[in-house]
Amino acid sequence: MAAEAATTSIDEGLNEDGGRWKDLDKLILRPGTIVGDNFEPGPELKENLMKMVRVLVVGAGGLGCELLKDLALSGFLNLEVIDMDTIDVSNLNRQFLFRFGDVGKPKAEVAAKCVMERISGVNIVPHFCRIEDKDISFFDNFHIIVLGLDSIEARSYINAVACSYLEYDSDGNPSDGIKPMVDGGTEGFKGHARVIIPGLTPCFECNIWLFPPQVKFPLCTLAETPRTAAHCIEYAHLIKWGEALKRAELFGISGVTYSLTQGVVKNIVPAIASTNAIVSAACALEALKIMTDCSKTMSNYLMYNGTEGIHSKMTAFDRDKDCLVCGPGILIELDISVTLSKFIDLLGEHPKLLLSKPSITHRGNNLYMQAPPVLEEMTRSNLNLLLFDLIGKIPKDIIHATGTTSINGKRTSCLRKLRVIFKGTAEDVTDMDTMGAVYRFVDKDNPEFWGYPVPKF
Amino acid sequence: MIKLFKQKEKQREQAENAHGRAPVKKQSAGELRLHKGVSGVEQWRGLGNMSELNLPKTSTIAFPNGKDDLMNFEVTLQPDEGYYLGGSFVFTFQVPPIYPHEAPKVKCKTKVYHPNIDLEGNVCLNILREDWKPVLNINTIVYGLNLLFTQPNDEDPLNQDAAAVLRDNPKLFETNVRRAMAGGYVGQFFFPRCMVGSK
Amino acid sequence: MAEPKNKYDRQLRIWGEQGQAALEKASICLLNCGPTGSEALKNLVLGGIGSVTIVDEFKVEMNDLGNNFLVDASSVGQSRAKCVCTFLQELNDAVKAKFIQESPERLLETNPSFFSQFTLIIATQLLEDSILKLDKICREGNVMLVIARSYGLTGIVRISVKEHTVIESKHEHFVEDLRFHNPWPELKQFAESIDLNVVDPVIHKHIPYAVILIKLVEKWKEMHDGHLPLTRKEKDEFKHLIKSLMLDIDEDNYKEAIRASFKVCPEGIGSDLSQILEDGSAEVDFGSSDFWVMVAALKEFIANEGEGEFPLEGSIPDMTSSTEYYVNLQKIYQAKAEVDFLAVEQRVRSILKRIGRDSDAISRADIKTFCRNSRKLAVRRYRSIEDEFKSPATLELQKNLNDEEYSYTFGFYVLLRAVDRFAANYNRFPGLFDRRVQYSLKSSEVADDVHRLNSIAVGILNNLGFKAKTLYEDLVSEMCRFGGAELHAVAAFVGGIASQEVIKLITKQFVPVSGTFIFDGIEHKSQVLPI
Repeated sequence: MAAEAATTSIDEGLNEDGGRWKDLDKLILRPGTIVGDNFEPGPELKENLMKMVRVLVVGAGGLGCELLKDLALSGFLNLEVIDMDTIDVSNLNRQFLFRFGDVGKPKAEVAAKCVMERISGVNIVPHFCRIEDKDISFFDNFHIIVLGLDSIEARSYINAVACSYLEYDSDGNPSDGIKPMVDGGTEGFKGHARVIIPGLTPCFECNIWLFPPQVKFPLCTLAETPRTAAHCIEYAHLIKWGEALKRAELFGISGVTYSLTQGVVKNIVPAIASTNAIVSAACALEALKIMTDCSKTMSNYLMYNGTEGIHSKMTAFDRDKDCLVCGPGILIELDISVTLSKFIDLLGEHPKLLLSKPSITHRGNNLYMQAPPVLEEMTRSNLNLLLFDLIGKIPKDIIHATGTTSINGKRTSCLRKLRVIFKGTAEDVTDMDTMGAVYRFVDKDNPEFWGYPVPKF
Repeated sequence: MIKLFKQKEKQREQAENAHGRAPVKKQSAGELRLHKGVSGVEQWRGLGNMSELNLPKTSTIAFPNGKDDLMNFEVTLQPDEGYYLGGSFVFTFQVPPIYPHEAPKVKCKTKVYHPNIDLEGNVCLNILREDWKPVLNINTIVYGLNLLFTQPNDEDPLNQDAAAVLRDNPKLFETNVRRAMAGGYVGQFFFPRCMVGSK
Repeated sequence: MAEPKNKYDRQLRIWGEQGQAALEKASICLLNCGPTGSEALKNLVLGGIGSVTIVDEFKVEMNDLGNNFLVDASSVGQSRAKCVCTFLQELNDAVKAKFIQESPERLLETNPSFFSQFTLIIATQLLEDSILKLDKICREGNVMLVIARSYGLTGIVRISVKEHTVIESKHEHFVEDLRFHNPWPELKQFAESIDLNVVDPVIHKHIPYAVILIKLVEKWKEMHDGHLPLTRKEKDEFKHLIKSLMLDIDEDNYKEAIRASFKVCPEGIGSDLSQILEDGSAEVDFGSSDFWVMVAALKEFIANEGEGEFPLEGSIPDMTSSTEYYVNLQKIYQAKAEVDFLAVEQRVRSILKRIGRDSDAISRADIKTFCRNSRKLAVRRYRSIEDEFKSPATLELQKNLNDEEYSYTFGFYVLLRAVDRFAANYNRFPGLFDRRVQYSLKSSEVADDVHRLNSIAVGILNNLGFKAKTLYEDLVSEMCRFGGAELHAVAAFVGGIASQEVIKLITKQFVPVSGTFIFDGIEHKSQVLPI
């Protein structure tokens, strides 16, 4: 008897869907014993999952295709997907939503269409563009962001965007604007899946060091003493394109092939269907658990390696409390009448900062720069203006300041995130800050075994 | 989290009703804090760079895109000793968004006769490539570049001819450097003038 | 089809042309095409597996639309095997996709020889007694078996193969055999031709570290009665010796020599490898596999021409060097590897002859690959399911139990077996009811099921040699809550793992999992249990 033959039908599931979600129902309609703190099983949870929750999937490649399918079949029926790429023949060994006839078409559009055709009731809005091209308000309406990307830059960007919604109360605890993220990555038989809940678990920036820098060959080796095929190719790519083969011949080096050229130059990484499926499934399951609380959530970084046996290792990384992206920063309450010059003096007196000679920046505008002289000159005229005016009359915002401070009697330069609130405006908060504990990240054992370079384009 | 999202939504509605105001769509925090296409990370990375900047006397910095773009700048070196005394060399710096995880891209804009800089402006300086570490900064690079001018070396050549001359005939090398800086031909290559005060 | 090479580019970078060819020759049979099986097969079809045959008796129902991407609304009422097959064919028309609308259980009874036509069988969502029967059939017919099961937030993947031998295990962190301690004459001669005291600093900083180490080991041995630097103190002294020859602290080749100085002492072979050499199968006869014939030749080589060493791999790592020195060095290593290979080949040929096989039965290319990988060989043997059930590996399991890192996996293993017994007894899974029941932890129906499942689990635990305490009560209750649900995300994960292991078994590259993989979807702390 097959296992499913035993599943006699009657259950408490909603009947309007004809038992379609019979399996998922077990998790979101039934109470459990090992569940999240806020788990409230029932039809309302199901309805919210399927009708209210909006998910953004970043990337419609190897992971993205799997993610759209996995999320839709996990009950997330409102999805949007963003990807700037078009379909290439070499995608077809794993990006199963694409066919030969789709080559050249935008990935996001084809993927969305394919999943909508196969799964009735799901709505997927495709966006064929770079994430940076989207206005920031684009991200307002998503409850959760799932990343299927292959670049550190893009991850860092989305992370900063998601963390920017985070608001802290006067105790430095996250109070609002939590936008969770689930992030996956693969190379060959290896991969990772992680959960980022800004303000609660480490953000991408807290442990960006997990991503090893790309291997670079010395330029002079490439030019004068090449030894391997990769050396010849990178030389040609960097300095004189189209000479790799000739060069290798000249130096008596074998192995300059088209495949390797692509690998060295574009840093193409090997990719297979199974690893993408495994990592995406892990991400989708975590998304379901985060949103519904139907079980525990992973804590917080899963490293996977299927090269030799099956190794999966969960590591609970710590937050960097001073993280400039997800940290609370230091709360400073100000009068509207404070000039930039007065503000700079305040930072020197503030017991948590004691910043001398600080330079100040706000939303990409350098308000005052102490150095170099050329920048000091350009920004000097701001000193006598009101800070409130300089930042566009916003009652509450983040300002970054950098300067030197004394740590254990040593002058050290540091960069600080400041949460500035103007008194007498709509958003004021009465309490002064209680944050600022210096908390540095201790290097966790991160054996090479787990590490795999993240490709860059 | 669905429950939390629901609660927040309800709180917002209640607050709005209590104030007797018609519900207004709140401007999102994201909108307040970020520009389109700028994650904010670049801003403080650039800022951190500048605050740490402690350039040698032989150098000056300029920001061709104005005070708010600290990720692209030019450093001019005027060596105060050695073969290149009297010359003025401009380097462009492009700081990547994930700096210091990755090194800035540095090129020499001034065409120079130098064993470690080729005629396209590529520079062979270990810390720009294989030896880059996130603890290094712009200062280290500028000091490194400065060293290339006071102590050019023939062992890691990018310009093979210049390196050979430096090794075999330092006197001729000096003459060639002078000729190139004054504006003139060395071998078949022309070098525009790059002496201090020249325009 | 147009440009298949291009289409497989990203995977050819992993398993190469041979691996791909092996996949394209393989024929796979899938039992039950729920989401777990469908997803496993999907990954294989994308990669260009030769042929697939789906065995499944069900018609597509509404609940399939909630967890299986390979069927759609238009499939309802049709054969599930047929619908999944149609979609798979659409994914890759280079694959031969067939289906049989039949229950795997019935096929086991009526036509056991059916299974012997396949390279490998993926059995999904099968119950205990069917797996037992299937395993026997597969072992008799020399068909590989991969078992995969998703159940609520847990799952299992298990391989059942008598013996799986791997030549290209593709170990990643592997120290090359560079023979610094014992250079052969050509290498020694090359090293001697280079003067470490050369005056020209450019030449000095471009002497490859291999040469530096060979020369210095020689010097060290002269000073120390022929001994290598073995103790920590000696190793430090040896590093100082290297350092003392540097002209400048920035000489990369010397820095590399210091970093690589540990390579001067031969590593010795690992226990896995020595077990292979000592394995009884290396006493070969007519029935021996090519792998063991080559192992026998390897042993002879080591005892004779190899003078205690394995055949040289012939590759050298990148190192700071002039191009000329490097290329010459590379040629010397390659030449030695070729000599070693020829010696092994000769031994393989004579062994083949001796055991009554055609002396050309193993190709040169295969022997070459074997030589290049002779220090990375791997052998996996899996116990039969019957053995697993009858004589549990209690001792091995015990070691894993105290690992608090993995609190749920062992419990899930026991409970996965318990739900099958439950189903055999009550004709339903725990937590699934014949009548409409409001599922509440307090309801008597639910409490009864938890109680029954717990007693069954305790029985299994006792058989395994453990006390009942090792089982979390909360986990038993969760297992009832799952009610046999096959969640898509869990199925995609478990199916993904299964397809990965199938690829390793078929390509004979990389090393398949050594035990039973238990998926923990609660904390995502999955584990391989030695069962």
